[in-house]
Amino acid sequence: MSLTDEDEALIAAALNGSPLAWEKLVRRYESKIYNHGLRLMGSSSDAMDLMQEVFLGVYRNLHHFRGDAKFSSWIFRIAHNKAIDMNRRKRLMTTQTRTSDQEELDFLDLIPGETNIEPDNMVSEQQQNKRVISMLSKLPLEQRLVVELKMFQSQTFEEIANLQDISVNTAKTRFYTALKKLKVVSEKVHALP
Amino acid sequence: MPCPKTQHILQEYFADDLESLAKEKIESHLLVCEHCSNELESLLLTQNTLTQWKNERTPHWNRGMELFRREHQAPISGFSLWHRLQWAPTVTCFAMMLVLLLNVNFISSQEGFSVSFGSTSDDSSVIAERLVAFQEEQRLAMDALAERVEDRQVSNNIELLQTVLDQNQQTTAENLNRIYVFFEQQRLRDLEDMRIGYQDLVDNDYETIRSLQQLAQFVSYQSPER
Ligand SMILES: [Zn+2]
Repeated sequence: MSLTDEDEALIAAALNGSPLAWEKLVRRYESKIYNHGLRLMGSSSDAMDLMQEVFLGVYRNLHHFRGDAKFSSWIFRIAHNKAIDMNRRKRLMTTQTRTSDQEELDFLDLIPGETNIEPDNMVSEQQQNKRVISMLSKLPLEQRLVVELKMFQSQTFEEIANLQDISVNTAKTRFYTALKKLKVVSEKVHALP
Repeated sequence: MPCPKTQHILQEYFADDLESLAKEKIESHLLVCEHCSNELESLLLTQNTLTQWKNERTPHWNRGMELFRREHQAPISGFSLWHRLQWAPTVTCFAMMLVLLLNVNFISSQEGFSVSFGSTSDDSSVIAERLVAFQEEQRLAMDALAERVEDRQVSNNIELLQTVLDQNQQTTAENLNRIYVFFEQQRLRDLEDMRIGYQDLVDNDYETIRSLQQLAQFVSYQSPER
Protein backbone atom coordinates (compact mmCIF):
# COMPACT_ATOMS: atom_id res chain seq x y z
CA MET A 1 0.00 0.00 0.00
CA SER A 2 1.54 3.30 -1.09
CA LEU A 3 1.55 6.37 1.12
CA THR A 4 -1.07 7.95 -1.12
CA ASP A 5 -3.31 4.88 -0.86
CA GLU A 6 -2.87 4.91 2.91
CA ASP A 7 -3.88 8.57 2.98
CA GLU A 8 -7.00 7.80 1.00
CA ALA A 9 -7.91 4.85 3.19
CA LEU A 10 -7.54 7.03 6.28
CA ILE A 11 -9.62 9.79 4.71
CA ALA A 12 -12.39 7.34 3.83
CA ALA A 13 -12.41 5.95 7.38
CA ALA A 14 -12.37 9.45 8.90
CA LEU A 15 -15.30 10.44 6.71
CA ASN A 16 -17.09 7.39 8.08
CA GLY A 17 -16.64 8.79 11.55
CA SER A 18 -13.54 6.95 12.75
CA PRO A 19 -11.70 9.19 15.24
CA LEU A 20 -8.68 6.88 15.09
CA ALA A 21 -8.34 7.31 11.33
CA TRP A 22 -8.59 11.08 11.70
CA GLU A 23 -5.94 11.10 14.40
CA LYS A 24 -3.63 8.96 12.30
CA LEU A 25 -4.09 11.23 9.31
CA VAL A 26 -3.27 14.28 11.44
CA ARG A 27 -0.21 12.59 12.94
CA ARG A 28 1.13 11.84 9.47
CA TYR A 29 1.13 15.48 8.46
CA GLU A 30 1.31 17.57 11.62
CA SER A 31 5.12 17.69 11.77
CA LYS A 32 5.38 18.71 8.11
CA ILE A 33 2.76 21.40 8.54
CA TYR A 34 4.17 22.61 11.85
CA ASN A 35 7.71 22.98 10.47
CA HIS A 36 6.31 24.54 7.33
CA GLY A 37 4.55 27.06 9.59
CA LEU A 38 7.73 27.70 11.59
CA ARG A 39 9.63 28.62 8.45
CA LEU A 40 6.81 30.73 7.07
CA MET A 41 5.61 32.47 10.22
CA GLY A 42 8.80 32.44 12.27
CA SER A 43 7.42 31.67 15.71
CA SER A 44 6.20 28.53 17.39
CA SER A 45 2.91 30.12 18.44
CA ASP A 46 2.14 31.33 14.92
CA ALA A 47 3.19 27.95 13.52
CA MET A 48 0.76 26.29 15.93
CA ASP A 49 -2.01 28.69 14.95
CA LEU A 50 -1.37 28.04 11.29
CA MET A 51 -1.24 24.28 11.80
CA GLN A 52 -4.55 24.29 13.68
CA GLU A 53 -6.18 26.41 11.00
CA VAL A 54 -4.84 24.08 8.32
CA PHE A 55 -6.21 20.97 9.98
CA LEU A 56 -9.52 22.66 10.67
CA GLY A 57 -9.64 23.50 6.96
CA VAL A 58 -8.77 19.91 6.11
CA TYR A 59 -11.49 18.65 8.47
CA ARG A 60 -14.14 21.02 7.10
CA ASN A 61 -13.33 20.17 3.47
CA LEU A 62 -12.41 16.52 3.74
CA HIS A 63 -15.56 15.46 1.88
CA HIS A 64 -14.49 17.70 -1.00
CA PHE A 65 -11.19 15.86 -1.37
CA ARG A 66 -11.57 13.89 -4.57
CA GLY A 67 -8.30 12.04 -4.76
CA ASP A 68 -7.41 13.36 -8.20
CA ALA A 69 -4.62 15.30 -6.48
CA LYS A 70 -2.36 13.86 -3.85
CA PHE A 71 -3.49 14.59 -0.31
CA SER A 72 -0.06 16.07 0.42
CA SER A 73 -0.51 18.59 -2.43
CA TRP A 74 -4.01 19.32 -1.27
CA ILE A 75 -3.01 19.98 2.34
CA PHE A 76 -0.16 22.27 1.25
CA ARG A 77 -2.59 24.20 -0.92
CA ILE A 78 -4.73 24.76 2.18
CA ALA A 79 -1.61 25.69 4.16
CA HIS A 80 -0.56 28.11 1.44
CA ASN A 81 -3.89 29.94 1.52
CA LYS A 82 -4.05 29.95 5.31
CA ALA A 83 -0.52 31.37 5.52
CA ILE A 84 -1.50 34.23 3.21
CA ASP A 85 -4.67 34.90 5.25
CA MET A 86 -2.73 34.83 8.48
CA ASN A 87 -0.04 37.12 7.16
CA ARG A 88 -2.71 39.58 6.03
CA ARG A 89 -4.30 39.51 9.47
CA LYS A 90 -0.97 40.06 11.16
CA ARG A 91 -0.29 43.03 8.91
CA LEU A 92 -3.59 44.58 9.89
CA MET A 93 -2.78 44.02 13.55
CA THR A 94 0.66 45.64 13.39
CA THR A 95 1.41 49.20 12.49
CA GLN A 96 3.31 48.09 9.45
CA THR A 97 1.48 49.57 6.47
CA ARG A 98 3.85 48.72 3.66
CA THR A 99 2.39 46.57 0.91
CA SER A 100 4.13 43.48 -0.36
CA ASP A 101 4.72 45.20 -3.69
CA GLN A 102 6.63 47.94 -1.95
CA GLU A 103 8.57 45.33 -0.07
CA GLU A 104 9.42 43.61 -3.28
CA LEU A 105 10.57 46.87 -4.85
CA ASP A 106 12.98 47.71 -2.09
CA PHE A 107 14.01 44.15 -1.40
CA LEU A 108 17.70 44.98 -1.62
CA ASP A 109 17.32 47.82 0.81
CA LEU A 110 18.08 45.69 3.80
CA ILE A 111 18.23 47.39 7.10
CA PRO A 112 19.48 45.08 9.85
CA GLY A 113 16.76 44.38 12.39
CA GLU A 114 14.02 45.35 9.99
CA THR A 115 11.90 42.28 10.15
CA ASN A 116 8.30 41.48 10.88
CA ILE A 117 9.42 38.55 12.98
CA GLU A 118 10.85 39.40 16.37
CA PRO A 119 13.80 37.24 17.42
CA ASP A 120 12.12 36.89 20.82
CA ASN A 121 9.31 34.97 19.18
CA MET A 122 11.63 32.36 17.85
CA VAL A 123 11.60 29.34 20.06
CA SER A 124 13.71 27.16 17.80
CA GLU A 125 16.21 25.44 20.00
CA GLN A 126 18.58 24.81 17.15
CA GLN A 127 20.80 27.68 16.08
CA GLN A 128 20.62 26.42 12.54
CA ASN A 129 16.85 26.68 12.43
CA LYS A 130 17.01 30.13 13.96
CA ARG A 131 19.28 31.20 11.16
CA VAL A 132 17.01 29.78 8.50
CA ILE A 133 14.00 31.52 10.02
CA SER A 134 15.93 34.77 10.31
CA MET A 135 16.93 34.57 6.65
CA LEU A 136 13.47 33.67 5.39
CA SER A 137 11.87 36.39 7.47
CA LYS A 138 13.58 38.97 5.30
CA LEU A 139 11.58 37.82 2.29
CA PRO A 140 8.12 39.02 1.38
CA LEU A 141 5.63 36.21 1.90
CA GLU A 142 5.19 35.45 -1.81
CA GLN A 143 8.90 34.82 -2.20
CA ARG A 144 9.14 32.99 1.10
CA LEU A 145 6.38 30.69 -0.07
CA VAL A 146 8.13 29.95 -3.35
CA VAL A 147 11.37 29.07 -1.56
CA GLU A 148 9.46 26.96 0.96
CA LEU A 149 7.50 25.03 -1.66
CA LYS A 150 10.44 24.58 -3.98
CA MET A 151 13.11 23.65 -1.48
CA PHE A 152 11.24 22.06 1.40
CA GLN A 153 8.19 20.60 -0.30
CA SER A 154 9.94 19.72 -3.59
CA GLN A 155 7.15 21.20 -5.66
CA THR A 156 7.65 22.02 -9.33
CA PHE A 157 7.47 25.57 -10.63
CA GLU A 158 4.32 24.55 -12.45
CA GLU A 159 2.67 23.51 -9.18
CA ILE A 160 3.85 26.71 -7.49
CA ALA A 161 2.64 28.83 -10.42
CA ASN A 162 -0.73 27.12 -10.20
CA LEU A 163 -0.91 27.71 -6.46
CA GLN A 164 0.02 31.39 -6.63
CA ASP A 165 -1.96 32.02 -9.79
CA ILE A 166 1.09 33.23 -11.72
CA SER A 167 2.97 32.05 -14.82
CA VAL A 168 5.69 29.43 -14.55
CA ASN A 169 8.20 32.05 -15.61
CA THR A 170 7.12 34.42 -12.86
CA ALA A 171 7.48 31.57 -10.39
CA LYS A 172 11.04 30.93 -11.59
CA THR A 173 11.86 34.64 -11.38
CA ARG A 174 10.40 34.81 -7.91
CA PHE A 175 12.57 31.91 -6.81
CA TYR A 176 15.71 33.39 -8.32
CA THR A 177 15.01 36.81 -6.84
CA ALA A 178 14.39 35.25 -3.46
CA LEU A 179 17.61 33.24 -3.59
CA LYS A 180 19.59 36.35 -4.49
CA LYS A 181 18.10 38.19 -1.56
CA LEU A 182 18.74 35.27 0.76
CA LYS A 183 22.34 35.23 -0.36
CA VAL A 184 22.75 38.87 0.67
CA VAL A 185 20.98 38.20 3.95
CA SER A 186 23.06 35.11 4.73
CA GLU A 187 26.23 37.05 4.12
CA LYS A 188 25.02 39.56 6.71
CA VAL A 189 24.06 36.79 9.08
CA HIS A 190 27.48 35.19 8.58
CA ALA A 191 29.09 38.54 9.26
CA LEU A 192 27.40 38.75 12.66
CA PRO A 193 29.64 37.85 15.60
CA MET B 1 32.88 41.76 -15.14
CA PRO B 2 29.06 41.66 -14.97
CA CYS B 3 27.26 39.40 -17.42
CA PRO B 4 23.94 40.34 -19.06
CA LYS B 5 22.86 36.70 -19.19
CA THR B 6 23.16 35.95 -15.46
CA GLN B 7 19.50 36.19 -14.53
CA HIS B 8 18.33 34.06 -17.48
CA ILE B 9 21.08 31.48 -17.04
CA LEU B 10 20.62 31.04 -13.32
CA GLN B 11 16.85 31.17 -13.42
CA GLU B 12 16.85 28.34 -15.92
CA TYR B 13 19.51 26.47 -13.98
CA PHE B 14 16.97 25.92 -11.17
CA ALA B 15 14.16 24.94 -13.53
CA ASP B 16 12.59 21.51 -13.02
CA ASP B 17 12.86 19.70 -16.30
CA LEU B 18 15.40 21.30 -18.51
CA GLU B 19 15.71 20.06 -22.10
CA SER B 20 19.12 18.59 -22.68
CA LEU B 21 19.87 21.25 -25.31
CA ALA B 22 19.08 24.11 -22.93
CA LYS B 23 21.03 22.35 -20.19
CA GLU B 24 24.09 22.06 -22.42
CA LYS B 25 23.85 25.75 -23.29
CA ILE B 26 23.69 26.78 -19.65
CA GLU B 27 26.57 24.52 -18.63
CA SER B 28 28.76 25.66 -21.44
CA HIS B 29 28.09 29.29 -20.50
CA LEU B 30 28.89 28.62 -16.87
CA LEU B 31 32.20 27.10 -17.92
CA VAL B 32 33.25 30.25 -19.68
CA CYS B 33 31.57 32.97 -17.58
CA GLU B 34 33.22 33.53 -14.23
CA HIS B 35 30.58 35.96 -13.01
CA CYS B 36 27.74 33.53 -13.59
CA SER B 37 29.57 30.56 -12.09
CA ASN B 38 30.55 32.57 -9.00
CA GLU B 39 26.99 33.77 -8.62
CA LEU B 40 25.70 30.21 -8.97
CA GLU B 41 28.14 28.97 -6.35
CA SER B 42 26.99 31.51 -3.80
CA LEU B 43 23.33 30.73 -4.51
CA LEU B 44 23.97 27.01 -4.04
CA LEU B 45 25.71 27.84 -0.76
CA THR B 46 22.65 29.83 0.32
CA GLN B 47 20.43 26.89 -0.58
CA ASN B 48 22.71 24.67 1.43
CA THR B 49 22.29 26.91 4.47
CA LEU B 50 18.54 26.55 4.19
CA THR B 51 18.68 22.76 3.92
CA GLN B 52 20.41 22.65 7.33
CA TRP B 53 16.91 22.88 8.75
CA LYS B 54 16.20 20.17 11.31
CA ASN B 55 12.56 19.31 11.79
CA GLU B 56 11.31 20.38 15.19
CA ARG B 57 8.90 18.40 17.28
CA THR B 58 5.29 19.46 17.07
CA PRO B 59 4.10 20.76 20.45
CA HIS B 60 1.29 18.77 22.04
CA TRP B 61 -2.18 19.63 20.78
CA ASN B 62 -5.57 17.88 20.70
CA ARG B 63 -5.49 17.22 16.91
CA GLY B 64 -9.08 18.37 16.57
CA MET B 65 -10.20 15.18 18.31
CA GLU B 66 -12.78 16.95 20.48
CA LEU B 67 -14.36 18.57 17.44
CA PHE B 68 -14.27 15.31 15.53
CA ARG B 69 -15.87 13.31 18.35
CA ARG B 70 -18.50 15.98 19.01
CA GLU B 71 -19.55 16.13 15.38
CA HIS B 72 -19.60 12.37 14.88
CA GLN B 73 -21.52 11.52 18.05
CA ALA B 74 -25.11 12.04 16.85
CA PRO B 75 -25.37 9.08 14.41
CA ILE B 76 -23.81 6.75 17.00
CA SER B 77 -26.40 7.53 19.71
CA GLY B 78 -29.21 7.18 17.16
CA PHE B 79 -27.90 3.75 16.37
CA SER B 80 -28.02 2.61 20.01
CA LEU B 81 -31.53 4.05 20.40
CA TRP B 82 -32.58 1.86 17.50
CA HIS B 83 -31.01 -1.13 19.23
CA ARG B 84 -32.92 -0.38 22.40
CA LEU B 85 -36.19 -0.11 20.47
CA GLN B 86 -35.72 -3.60 19.11
CA TRP B 87 -36.48 -4.86 22.60
CA ALA B 88 -39.92 -3.24 22.45
CA PRO B 89 -41.84 -6.25 20.99
CA THR B 90 -40.36 -8.56 23.61
CA VAL B 91 -41.32 -6.15 26.37
CA THR B 92 -44.82 -5.83 24.94
CA CYS B 93 -45.21 -9.62 24.80
CA PHE B 94 -44.08 -9.91 28.40
CA ALA B 95 -46.53 -7.23 29.51
CA MET B 96 -49.39 -8.99 27.71
CA MET B 97 -48.44 -12.30 29.28
CA LEU B 98 -48.67 -10.64 32.68
CA VAL B 99 -52.07 -9.23 31.75
CA LEU B 100 -53.27 -12.73 30.93
CA LEU B 101 -51.72 -14.40 33.95
CA LEU B 102 -53.20 -11.87 36.37
CA ASN B 103 -56.50 -11.94 34.51
CA VAL B 104 -56.73 -8.17 34.33
CA ASN B 105 -59.98 -6.77 33.02
CA PHE B 106 -60.36 -3.44 31.32
CA ILE B 107 -63.97 -2.32 31.29
CA SER B 108 -65.00 0.64 29.20
CA SER B 109 -68.37 2.22 29.85
CA GLN B 110 -69.99 5.67 29.74
CA GLU B 111 -68.76 6.33 33.27
CA GLY B 112 -65.11 5.74 32.26
CA PHE B 113 -62.62 2.94 32.47
CA SER B 114 -62.17 0.38 35.17
CA VAL B 115 -59.59 -2.29 35.65
CA SER B 116 -59.81 -5.31 37.90
CA PHE B 117 -57.61 -8.29 38.67
CA GLY B 118 -58.55 -11.92 38.90
CA SER B 119 -61.68 -13.61 37.64
CA THR B 120 -64.86 -11.55 37.48
CA SER B 121 -67.08 -14.64 37.48
CA ASP B 122 -67.39 -14.32 41.29
CA ASP B 123 -70.64 -13.33 42.84
CA SER B 124 -72.06 -9.94 42.08
CA SER B 125 -71.36 -8.33 45.49
CA VAL B 126 -67.62 -8.79 45.00
CA ILE B 127 -67.94 -7.19 41.59
CA ALA B 128 -69.85 -4.27 43.04
CA GLU B 129 -67.29 -3.75 45.79
CA ARG B 130 -64.49 -3.82 43.35
CA LEU B 131 -66.25 -1.48 41.02
CA VAL B 132 -66.73 1.12 43.72
CA ALA B 133 -63.18 0.75 45.02
CA PHE B 134 -61.52 0.80 41.65
CA GLN B 135 -63.63 3.19 39.64
CA GLU B 136 -62.15 6.48 40.90
CA GLU B 137 -58.67 5.13 41.32
CA GLN B 138 -58.59 3.64 37.84
CA ARG B 139 -60.06 6.71 36.23
CA LEU B 140 -57.09 8.67 37.59
CA ALA B 141 -54.74 5.94 36.46
CA MET B 142 -56.23 5.94 32.99
CA ASP B 143 -55.96 9.73 32.79
CA ALA B 144 -52.31 9.49 33.65
CA LEU B 145 -51.92 6.73 31.10
CA ALA B 146 -53.68 8.78 28.45
CA GLU B 147 -51.35 11.67 29.18
CA ARG B 148 -48.34 9.44 28.79
CA VAL B 149 -49.70 8.12 25.52
CA GLU B 150 -50.11 11.69 24.30
CA ASP B 151 -46.54 12.48 25.28
CA ARG B 152 -45.37 9.52 23.33
CA GLN B 153 -47.34 10.58 20.31
CA VAL B 154 -45.63 13.94 20.43
CA SER B 155 -42.22 12.34 20.31
CA ASN B 156 -43.36 9.99 17.56
CA ASN B 157 -42.47 6.99 19.70
CA ILE B 158 -45.57 5.13 18.57
CA GLU B 159 -44.54 5.48 14.97
CA LEU B 160 -41.10 4.21 15.81
CA LEU B 161 -42.58 1.36 17.79
CA GLN B 162 -44.83 0.49 14.86
CA THR B 163 -41.84 0.49 12.52
CA VAL B 164 -39.94 -1.77 14.85
CA LEU B 165 -42.92 -4.12 15.18
CA ASP B 166 -43.35 -4.22 11.40
CA GLN B 167 -39.72 -5.05 10.93
CA ASN B 168 -39.73 -7.83 13.48
CA GLN B 169 -40.05 -11.49 12.76
CA GLN B 170 -43.33 -12.92 11.52
CA THR B 171 -43.47 -15.21 14.54
CA THR B 172 -43.56 -12.32 16.96
CA ALA B 173 -46.47 -10.80 15.07
CA GLU B 174 -48.32 -14.12 15.05
CA ASN B 175 -47.77 -14.60 18.74
CA LEU B 176 -49.08 -11.13 19.42
CA ASN B 177 -52.16 -11.83 17.30
CA ARG B 178 -52.92 -15.08 19.11
CA ILE B 179 -52.49 -13.42 22.49
CA TYR B 180 -54.68 -10.55 21.40
CA VAL B 181 -57.48 -12.84 20.18
CA PHE B 182 -57.36 -14.81 23.43
CA PHE B 183 -57.35 -11.62 25.42
CA GLU B 184 -60.30 -10.23 23.48
CA GLN B 185 -62.39 -13.40 23.99
CA GLN B 186 -61.66 -13.29 27.69
CA ARG B 187 -62.60 -9.65 27.85
CA LEU B 188 -65.97 -10.17 26.11
CA ARG B 189 -66.84 -13.07 28.41
CA ASP B 190 -65.97 -11.03 31.48
CA LEU B 191 -67.92 -8.10 30.14
CA GLU B 192 -71.00 -10.30 29.88
CA ASP B 193 -70.45 -11.50 33.47
CA MET B 194 -70.16 -7.90 34.52
CA ARG B 195 -73.42 -6.97 32.80
CA ILE B 196 -75.23 -9.73 34.66
CA GLY B 197 -73.60 -8.52 37.88
CA TYR B 198 -74.87 -5.04 37.27
CA GLN B 199 -78.38 -6.30 36.61
CA ASP B 200 -78.34 -8.23 39.91
CA LEU B 201 -77.07 -5.17 41.69
CA VAL B 202 -79.82 -3.02 40.25
CA ASP B 203 -82.49 -5.65 41.14
CA ASN B 204 -81.21 -6.00 44.72
CA ASP B 205 -81.19 -2.30 45.29
CA TYR B 206 -84.57 -1.73 43.67
CA GLU B 207 -86.20 -1.21 47.04
CA THR B 208 -83.62 1.36 48.10
CA ILE B 209 -84.14 3.26 44.89
CA ARG B 210 -87.92 3.18 45.46
CA SER B 211 -87.41 4.71 48.93
CA LEU B 212 -85.17 7.40 47.49
CA GLN B 213 -87.78 8.19 44.86
CA GLN B 214 -90.42 8.51 47.57
CA LEU B 215 -88.15 10.78 49.56
CA ALA B 216 -87.53 12.92 46.52
CA GLN B 217 -91.23 13.13 45.85
CA PHE B 218 -91.78 14.07 49.47
CA VAL B 219 -89.15 16.81 49.31
CA SER B 220 -90.54 18.26 46.11
CA TYR B 221 -94.03 18.04 47.58
CA GLN B 222 -92.91 19.81 50.76
CA SER B 223 -90.86 22.62 49.24
CA PRO B 224 -93.65 24.73 47.66
CA GLU B 225 -95.22 25.03 51.19
CA ARG B 226 -92.06 26.62 52.63
ZN1 LIG C 1 27.40 34.89 -17.59
